[in-house]
Amino acid sequence: MEISLNQIKKNSFKSLIVVLLAFIIVLPIIALFVISIGFDTTNFFYFADYLLLDYTLSTLYLLVLTIFFSFLFGIVPAWFISTSKFKGRRFYDLLLYLPLAIPTYIMAFSYGDILSFSGPFQSFVRDFIPSLTTLVNQDYLQIEVLSILLSFSLYPYLYAACRISFSLIGNNYINLSKNLGLNELKTFFKIGIPLSLPAIFSAIFLISMEVLNEYGAVSYFGINTYTSGIFRAWGSMADMETASILAILLFLVVCFFFFIERWITNRYNYSFKSNSDLSPNFKNSYQKLVLIHITSLIIILAAFVIPIIYMVNNIFVDFDNIDFFDVFNLSKNTIFISFIASILIILVVLFIQYVKRISNSKILNFVGEIISLTYALPGAVIGISIILLFAPINDSLGFLLIGSIPVLVYAYFIRYMAVAVSPILTSFKKYPKKLDDAGKSIGLKPFQFFRKIFIPLNNNAIIIAFCICFVDIMKDLPLTLILRPFNFDTLATQTYEYAIEEMITKSSIYSLTIIIFGIILLSILSIKQSKK
Amino acid sequence: MKKNILRVIFIFFVLIITSCENNQKPNEINIYSQRHYAVDELQYENFTKQTGIKVNVTKANADELIQRLKIEGSSSSADLFITVDVGKLWQAGDMGLLQKIEDETITSNIKKEFLDPNNFWVPLTFRSRIIVYSKDRVNVNELDSYESLADKKWENRLLIRSSSNSYNQALMSSIIANNGPKVAEQWSSDIVSNLARDPKGNDRDQVKAIAAGQGDLAVVNSYYIGLLLSSEKEDELNAGNSVGVFFPNQRVDQSGAHINVSGIALTKNSPNKENALKLIAYLTSSVAQQTYVDNTYEYSVNPEIEPNKIVKQWGDFKKDNLDLNMLGVKRNEAIRIFDKTGWK
Repeated sequence: MEISLNQIKKNSFKSLIVVLLAFIIVLPIIALFVISIGFDTTNFFYFADYLLLDYTLSTLYLLVLTIFFSFLFGIVPAWFISTSKFKGRRFYDLLLYLPLAIPTYIMAFSYGDILSFSGPFQSFVRDFIPSLTTLVNQDYLQIEVLSILLSFSLYPYLYAACRISFSLIGNNYINLSKNLGLNELKTFFKIGIPLSLPAIFSAIFLISMEVLNEYGAVSYFGINTYTSGIFRAWGSMADMETASILAILLFLVVCFFFFIERWITNRYNYSFKSNSDLSPNFKNSYQKLVLIHITSLIIILAAFVIPIIYMVNNIFVDFDNIDFFDVFNLSKNTIFISFIASILIILVVLFIQYVKRISNSKILNFVGEIISLTYALPGAVIGISIILLFAPINDSLGFLLIGSIPVLVYAYFIRYMAVAVSPILTSFKKYPKKLDDAGKSIGLKPFQFFRKIFIPLNNNAIIIAFCICFVDIMKDLPLTLILRPFNFDTLATQTYEYAIEEMITKSSIYSLTIIIFGIILLSILSIKQSKK
Repeated sequence: MKKNILRVIFIFFVLIITSCENNQKPNEINIYSQRHYAVDELQYENFTKQTGIKVNVTKANADELIQRLKIEGSSSSADLFITVDVGKLWQAGDMGLLQKIEDETITSNIKKEFLDPNNFWVPLTFRSRIIVYSKDRVNVNELDSYESLADKKWENRLLIRSSSNSYNQALMSSIIANNGPKVAEQWSSDIVSNLARDPKGNDRDQVKAIAAGQGDLAVVNSYYIGLLLSSEKEDELNAGNSVGVFFPNQRVDQSGAHINVSGIALTKNSPNKENALKLIAYLTSSVAQQTYVDNTYEYSVNPEIEPNKIVKQWGDFKKDNLDLNMLGVKRNEAIRIFDKTGWK
């Protein structure tokens, strides 16, 4: 304890900066509390009486279903690809990441149209298999269908987490399990899943946050979730205060689950020796190979290939009306802003984790944890609290911060910090403290050691964090809409504007461009991951 | 180390300050807009060509823009606020975010019936919320009014989208204003029991659901039918053609079909007021109104401009002459009726 106090003193300047940074990050949450001070409770109690139960139940139902399907789509292929050798393994591995590049609302709008009466699916059946016409003519805008669509674009979080974890378990444990007479299925449940629980939990946390924050897709499907409730209070009842209270409540619930997650993770954090021989080693029976190919192909086809073909087709239909100059311009904006924000996030996360590591203080540990929690707030609510924060500065200085690039970057920074924290933290934890001492003994100062040895060692994780951040910011909608400068459009805002005006065909070129950039980045990620 | 950090902080501040802008610029105007149709950009370009005034736009949802206007207060750079629902314009006026527009050139461009009695907003286009029906399964003589959609004969046949949608909220507000809250509540609960499925999807999806046979009639905005009928996709065109258009409440003793306007308002602290008024005058002029009508299938508020030919073939109709501000005034009451009667 004394040592760590000493270290804190020694690093007091750096620790101060970390605390300051954390303060900057949680500032919008504080602002939100301020907005709701002294709010009028009528609307809140009205909401609690009439809507809360209904909205909460449908949110939970959607959440459970989405997590279930994400499990199905994410864990099964991750296990096969990590532990078996077969033809096409690398190829599947790459493709299984890609649906992450498709924003959830685009997935929902696209499938909404594909499955509709005038869409390609039903038209095809009418023309070629008329006997099935009545069977396929269904109302597909159901909560169960939505949960499958959401998990199409969210399962990669689980897939990515499990891929790393399963690969790290590796041969030693699996051989042991084989020697004990366990078959592959039992090994999966007795070794694979338990040893990967921390990874699985952190992925489920991210998926849950995405589902809780989803607005476009759920309102299109006519499902009232808790977030729709926040927007109903705000938009329809013109009551921002009640909306803030609802957002804060959601935030507290999420905090609760966040700390439970951390608690479980720490409890289950088996320090297993990660394995030296990474080559997959389960024998492949003929039936198993068929199973592997069928599951992987179905997932890739449904979550990625079909939406892409649909968009490409839309682009051909509307080809004469496409303004490619505009597409180019918006791509430039999108890349510019995502790049700056992602770099900033990575730098700050590295800095905070570094100071945390060298000072080893509980307070800084706590600070490091809470900055992830801003991910739990709906983007539009963060947007408003940021406007609230900067309005006084506007007033006193006479120039406009709101609607400027730095404030937009700041908003991304607080919203997407959590996405970068988890891969970097996981990677840092792998290297023992002994390494730091070794650095000291060869005469490197902590910062030098960090720059010259630690960062190169964690290079892969940093690139992964950067890619995921970049893709997420590129897809961002609520913050960009309300905080962007005048005449500043991104691919996501343009996609949304067409989609909301019910012009899906026109939106396709923009959404496909987002996806192409996403594919490029995720391919890098996937290659890095498999090297890892 | 310390030096480096201070240097970074300094550079960051310089960047922030240099990238910020001043409010007032001689030849520019700033718009907060909820409209995001491609035609709007065309209008602004034409205006800039004509006057040399540059138009800057931030597009977002109406509620967020209203909140932003409110928080920004006197430092806001916005000159104009545009929405697709008059209820939101009323709300912004009610919150004291707007100033009155008293300009002869502008008001002379617009039919008297569409003008705001309080002069807080100016309509740009209007649309009606109409009934569309399956040509195969519904005889047009069976249709009458919004009120008659509550009739038992439509049980399991009616389609309409969610009550979170502002077009439905405006319709309910008009029913409250015309018939009183008690009648409106009964109407709402009858509508809910007539629904063929839970409210979901957008307006186009209601039409597609009729084509799919999931229901027989739907309540939608008029221009969506225009968009379907002009679609380049054959299946959408077929869906559009499978339904008939009916304007409700047309009898002498009835209120007329519900309409809503997409409108523009001058913000209270508009830094470039003169230029802003010029843009409003331009957007309501016959040239610009013709551009709206041809691209979005909305109706013009300028008496000189006829509807697009697709829209024109549905014929002229009697409009509800309720003070449009009531669509905002009654909004909160409308939401409560929706919630109470289980209209999702």
